[in-house]
Amino acid sequence: MQALRLEDVRFRYPGMSGWALDIPSLGIGQGEFVTVLGPNGAGKTTLSFLANGLIPKSIKGESEGSVEVFEHKASEYSVAQLSTLVGMVFQEPESQLFCMSAEEEVAFGPENLAVPRDEIARRVEWALGLVGLKGMNGRSPSTLSGGQKQRLAIAAALSMKPSMLVLDEPAYALDPVGRIELYTILSDLKTNHGMTVVVMERDAEALAKFSDRFVVLVGGRITASGPPAAVLRDPRFLKEAGVSPPQLSEVASMISARRKGPPLGFLTVEEAVAEIMVNAPRHTRMVSR
Amino acid sequence: MTGLLDLYSEKGSFLHRLDPRVKLLAVLLLSVLAFMLSELLPLVLLLAFILLLLALSKSSFGKAFFALKFVVRLMVLITLLWPLFDRSGTPVLFSIGPLDITEPAIWRGVTSAVRIGCFATVWYILMFTTQQRDLVRALVKLGLRFDYGLALSISFRFIPTFGLTIESIKDAQRARALELDKGSFIRRSKNYVSVLVPAVVSALRTADTLALTLQSRAYGAFRDRTYLREIRMRPSDYVALAVAVLALLLPALAKYVYGVPL
Ligand SMILES: Nc1ncnc2c1ncn2[C@@H]1O[C@H](COP(=O)(O)OP(=O)(O)OP(=O)(O)O)[C@@H](O)[C@H]1O
Ligand SMILES: [Mg+2]
Repeated sequence: MQALRLEDVRFRYPGMSGWALDIPSLGIGQGEFVTVLGPNGAGKTTLSFLANGLIPKSIKGESEGSVEVFEHKASEYSVAQLSTLVGMVFQEPESQLFCMSAEEEVAFGPENLAVPRDEIARRVEWALGLVGLKGMNGRSPSTLSGGQKQRLAIAAALSMKPSMLVLDEPAYALDPVGRIELYTILSDLKTNHGMTVVVMERDAEALAKFSDRFVVLVGGRITASGPPAAVLRDPRFLKEAGVSPPQLSEVASMISARRKGPPLGFLTVEEAVAEIMVNAPRHTRMVSR
Repeated sequence: MTGLLDLYSEKGSFLHRLDPRVKLLAVLLLSVLAFMLSELLPLVLLLAFILLLLALSKSSFGKAFFALKFVVRLMVLITLLWPLFDRSGTPVLFSIGPLDITEPAIWRGVTSAVRIGCFATVWYILMFTTQQRDLVRALVKLGLRFDYGLALSISFRFIPTFGLTIESIKDAQRARALELDKGSFIRRSKNYVSVLVPAVVSALRTADTLALTLQSRAYGAFRDRTYLREIRMRPSDYVALAVAVLALLLPALAKYVYGVPL
């Protein structure tokens, strides 16, 4: 089953001349971890709003085409109904946490959905545990670190038991350690809970390891889509997407350009060593031993 | 501003454990009582009772001091100013220029000061012992619409954030050599526009994201939402409520039915 399916989707904000988003077709499979890469103004936020119905329900503009979420037509449901299928996490940690305690934050969604009280209590414990905030029920969100805030925002979405999470640049304000922590949690959700994860980000290098697929979005259009290694192997895609390619993949493409044989495509130091050792001329191998 | 907001401290007094609805009603009743009493002695007794409650609330000395400093200042100010405006009665004790200071006016000043002291302290005790979320929940339970309660708690939550935004914008403008606190009043007001405009823009953007967040968390999905933490009246809450009601009712009966001068 497809978690998200876009057919001939176009959207423009009021007063815009071109399309903010123009996607003839995009499918995201259930349980897939997809990273959408794109520069400023590429349409990442617009795409995430389409996935949970905020566009066109709440944000006005000219919209065409069909969006399906787990085979339900998004247009036939309210944003509140879709929230039980699609959990949203926004870029700004500060403005998406509005309660006085972590527990209230996580309980807010299920409370609105009129979930019985003891079930809410279970979900709060479960969701806080999944994002590594166990025991922080009473903490005021404003006293949490940036990374903890974003994880709390994830927990607040998880407590509505969605099958897909859409995150709009969730690691924007985080340091490298916080980012890896965040991606690891997302990756565990996928592996252990079959969660479909769609992350809008610019951080190609760190996300390569976690993603099943990279989708490159430029000017509202998809310019590349495929396994991270394949997308990264061609730094052109990333350059035009305004994403700086990982240094190792630049090294790989520079070496590949200067010699014969199959192109190198390593992304990690281990892969680099393995590939270079296999492909290197005999005497270099001797020397490096 | 933050001083007003973080008055609550986590202490295990019986006042902390009371149902917030009961506390709210009790505070209202005691406030009415303070304004109903017109004689000094009963008001002093009431103040003593309220100070006893303050002591029982185990409020940290720092916070209690912060609050009481404000209350005492207010009381002194009222005591001093009252006779200047209320010059009725005799005997005249002394005159400041054309102003006759009379003895009854001084007593009325002291009485009003004590009354305001009762009133202010009792509300401080409420803030010391009740989390804002419980206060909001109490209001919703007492019939306030959930939307309004949510708006109220969101404003509580974002006021400090807004304060921080203003501070960081001020720093940014200072870094650009804008001297915010120098020059005439007009000059300074103009400078502050350069702080307020970005602050308001930032607040509007936050409000925008907040609106989208609320919708994404199924806000408004059902008319009857559930609550993780219910507030429920326990026997001790009924006792406290009864005490508060009697505290107003008995003096009211004595004063208005039996004509006891209170
Ligand atoms: N509310 C709006 N009104 C008008 N135009 C908008 C609005 N929001 C976005 N746009 C425009 O739509 C296009 C896509 O914007 P979008 O916010 O989806 O990009 P993005 O990839 O999320 O960018 P960023 O990385 O800056 O967040 C941009 O050209 C942008 O200027
Ligand atoms: Mg964006």
